[in-house]
Amino acid sequence: MKIALAQIVPRLGDVKANVELHLDVLEKARRRKAGLVVFPELGLTGYTLKDLVEEVALDPDSDPRFRKIVSRSKGLSVVVGFVEERPAEKGLFYNAAAFIADGRIVHVHRKVFLPTNGMFEEAKFFAQGRDFRTFEAPFGRAGLLICRDFLHYGASYVHYASGADMIVCISAAPGRGVEGGDAFETSRMWELMGEAVSYFSTAFVLYANRAGSEDGVTFAGGSFAFAPGGRLAARAAAIDPDLLFCRIDLSAVRDARRKWLFKRDEKPEVVWRSLERIVRASED
Amino acid sequence: MLPKINAALVEKVLVRFIRDEFGKCGCKKGILGLSGGLDSAVTAALAARALGPGNVLGLIMPYGKGFPEDVRDAGNLARRLGIRHKTIDIAAQVDIYFAAHPTRSRVQRGNKMARERMSILYDYSAREDAFILGTSNKTELLIGYGTIHGDMACAINPMGDLYKTQVRELAAHLRLPAAIRRKVPTAGLWPGQTDEGELGLTYEELDDILYGLVEGRRSRREMVEAGHRPAIVARILRMIKNSEFKRKLPPIAKLSPRSVGHDFLYPYDWGK
Repeated sequence: MKIALAQIVPRLGDVKANVELHLDVLEKARRRKAGLVVFPELGLTGYTLKDLVEEVALDPDSDPRFRKIVSRSKGLSVVVGFVEERPAEKGLFYNAAAFIADGRIVHVHRKVFLPTNGMFEEAKFFAQGRDFRTFEAPFGRAGLLICRDFLHYGASYVHYASGADMIVCISAAPGRGVEGGDAFETSRMWELMGEAVSYFSTAFVLYANRAGSEDGVTFAGGSFAFAPGGRLAARAAAIDPDLLFCRIDLSAVRDARRKWLFKRDEKPEVVWRSLERIVRASED
Repeated sequence: MLPKINAALVEKVLVRFIRDEFGKCGCKKGILGLSGGLDSAVTAALAARALGPGNVLGLIMPYGKGFPEDVRDAGNLARRLGIRHKTIDIAAQVDIYFAAHPTRSRVQRGNKMARERMSILYDYSAREDAFILGTSNKTELLIGYGTIHGDMACAINPMGDLYKTQVRELAAHLRLPAAIRRKVPTAGLWPGQTDEGELGLTYEELDDILYGLVEGRRSRREMVEAGHRPAIVARILRMIKNSEFKRKLPPIAKLSPRSVGHDFLYPYDWGK
């Protein structure tokens, strides 16, 4: 299968323009025969929203702009980042990622870990997601994460434990640290996690970050794909916008799991019992 | 110790930042004050790369015949970068004011001159339909070594997260003329003033202390244990605290449920 990581530069607060941008990229990816296109976190809205959150929020089931993207997903899969507000939960805004396949929304993940410290203020403006679930994608079992979710490795573990063949993380990660090589130092942090998770979960890990700058903050780019076993399959440009295509062989999951028996020997029930004890103790 | 920067990466990020910010506003032209010193030279070089030399205007604004070398260096730099430049002597407007309102304070006169230059920059910003590029570095922003509503006034500030010694690294990478790179840093408030003379320590030491306090989140005690002079560390901490007002918009007295500056919160790039 060919995948596409869309390292785009969304327009802050302009859903209409960003839908057009997504449709353009989708068309390019379709021409290149991609089976999966991954867009970055909040790609439909831009990142530094603050009070704009409520203006750009949408219901993915009924919003005509969002339906346009859904209807253009015939024959392929798309991951889209947006602000979600459902009619049943009015006034609650989620930083969300939708997995869309063949004209249908298969799954929506709501960001669980909302960074709120220093330059980050997500929990001031977003409601918190409360679940990590995998789902059946056309190419296998998959799990979604959004940016900071990925840096809490328990999140990837839950996807792994529930049988993910692929973990897809969408991101709007700002670059920090200019002492090192040709990319921001923080890019290494993401890649390190991608390498480790793909190694020990023997699953594919896709990471789509954005480019561009907002309010003086430059997003670091550097999207990547790791094949099971920590094998770097592709890496997008640092800092610059990019549309990265990469062919992946889905049989690699089976190959890796025959070689490394982490998955076979995993004991989620032991982890669960231990966690339960820890959580209970902390609640006392 | 303040680590060295990857100057090529910094150049790439800052050029992209300038281009992005101007692009969002649909503005093609940039304007800045050229003092003949290092900070404005580096900013001008970055702006020339980001916007094209023809889209950058450097205003050289001496007070009378006070700093002839700086005026010459600023002009040479503009020619070297291929940017437009113009010299405006601010003596007349400064002298007419102080003739009516005399003062013996060199600082007061210097601040007034910085604000006259600011008012000229903003007027030319309107004439030229150009955005003002700030030239303040992280060192002077942190210790408040700048005139509020004077040289600190700008639309965007590309170098505000680079310490002075890092600006020097960037200047070397950008191959700026030695006459500018080797110049003794001065705020230029009066003849003979030098930053390091006035501060009583070198920029290397100042930047090391600031880096420890800011990025390293070290306490005063830890900085002293690391070998810095207690009186210097105390003075720098005082300068940082006393200049916080220069880094903020003035507080607004909150009355309503939603107030500017408190909970009416939008990005700077809103609607651009």
